[in-house]
Parts: sequence; C-alpha cells; structure tokens
Amino acid sequence: METGGEKLKIEDVLKENGVYVGPTVGVSMLPMLKNRRDTIVVRPKTERLKALDVALYKRGEAYVLHRVIQPIEGGYIIRGDNCYADEYIPEEAVFGVLTEFFRKKRKEAIPCTDKRYLRYAKRRVKTYKLRRFFVRLKMKIRAAGGKILRALGLRKKRS
Amino acid sequence: MKIKNGFVVRKVGGESVVVPVGEMSKMFHGMINLNDTGAFLWNFYTEEHTVEEGVEALLNEYEVEKDVAQADVEQFVKTIVENGFGE
Repeated sequence: METGGEKLKIEDVLKENGVYVGPTVGVSMLPMLKNRRDTIVVRPKTERLKALDVALYKRGEAYVLHRVIQPIEGGYIIRGDNCYADEYIPEEAVFGVLTEFFRKKRKEAIPCTDKRYLRYAKRRVKTYKLRRFFVRLKMKIRAAGGKILRALGLRKKRS
Repeated sequence: MKIKNGFVVRKVGGESVVVPVGEMSKMFHGMINLNDTGAFLWNFYTEEHTVEEGVEALLNEYEVEKDVAQADVEQFVKTIVENGFGE
C-alpha cells in the first residue's frame, strides 16, 4: 500500500511531529486497508521491528506500507497482505511503523496491539501459501479459458 | 460557507487531524492539525452556515468574548477558503 503523501515528505513529518496521519493509496494491504478510504497513523521506528509489524519505507520516491513477515539479519522479509511476492528491505530503509489505523468513517482507531487485529494479521500470514495456490489456480483457469475461446474463434487472437 | 466533502477528522493522541479521503486525497497531500476550537468549527461548517452562525455556535459552546469569537471564526473561514477547502 502506498500512502497518499506524494508531495508531503513523511520522513520530515515524523521527525517534526513524531506522528504522521494520512490516507492510504493502493490495494496491497487489502482487506485491512482500503484504497483512499482508511487512515493510517505512523510513528517513527525506534527499535527493530518484529514479525506482523507494518513497516513504512520508500521504494524509489513512493512510500510503501507493508507487513514484516520475518526479521532477518540486516533487514526484513516484507509482504503486503494482498501481495504474492516477498521483498527484502534493509533495516536502514525502514523509518516508520504503523501504530493504529481508522477504517471507514469509524471514530475509534484500531491500535496495532488490538487482539482481534493481531489474530487477523497472524491468519493473513498463515494462510499465505493457500491463498497464493488459489490465486495461481484462478490465473491458470483464466488463461486456459482464454485459449479455448480463442481456439473456438469466440475471442480475438493476441496480436 | 461549507467545507467540501472528502475529508474526515481523526482524533489521534488527543489531537484532531483532518485527513482527505476518496478523490480529495488525490488533490490534497498535507496534514491539517486542529485545536479544539478549530475541530468544533470544522464539524460545524460541514453544513452550510454563515460567519454569524459560526460566531453564535462558538459563543454557545465556549465561554469567550464575542469579539474574540468573531475574530476566530473569520480567521477560520478565511483559512478554509484560501486553502480551497470551502465552497
């Protein structure tokens, strides 16, 4: 999930205010965070992150907020809740951590220490391989369906 | 004056922060911190009201002199309009 602060330097806000509050952009942290609907509250990273924490870092000029799957030497294995590939992110690239978030128009924030939220996060990580299997299966079925339709002349051939 | 749709006010660490949502988040990338009076006026002006009505509402909510309330509301409305948050 990329954040909506393209023109705002979040690292500067974190240094000055100690907290960044902003919208979310993207679908990579679905179903937890919905594109341009929910609000994230990020604070500066003060210690090494642990598994299930949600890290804020930069990929080029874009801010990325993804979940730590496993802390490893010198960095982290990180993955979005709605992504099917792992990333290796060095320790120094991570400068913020999600501490709470707001969903929809609810007035109450959900802290990242919330037991129900942590159950969701654990489940999301635990079911990754199963979800990835079904996503790949769906893509194969879709590709096979396309081939059949093209063979029958019901769909145009790719140029 | 009325504050445009597309913003939510979030309470974080005892402070109110305005956050854009939906299409508005494509246009506005900043962070607006509001004090208590600002948060009250922001909520008040999510519906169409005049400056006079804002002053009246502020006087009903807070123990404040009328000229102070008038100045606060005028400043608030000016800031909102100048930054393109009002319509």
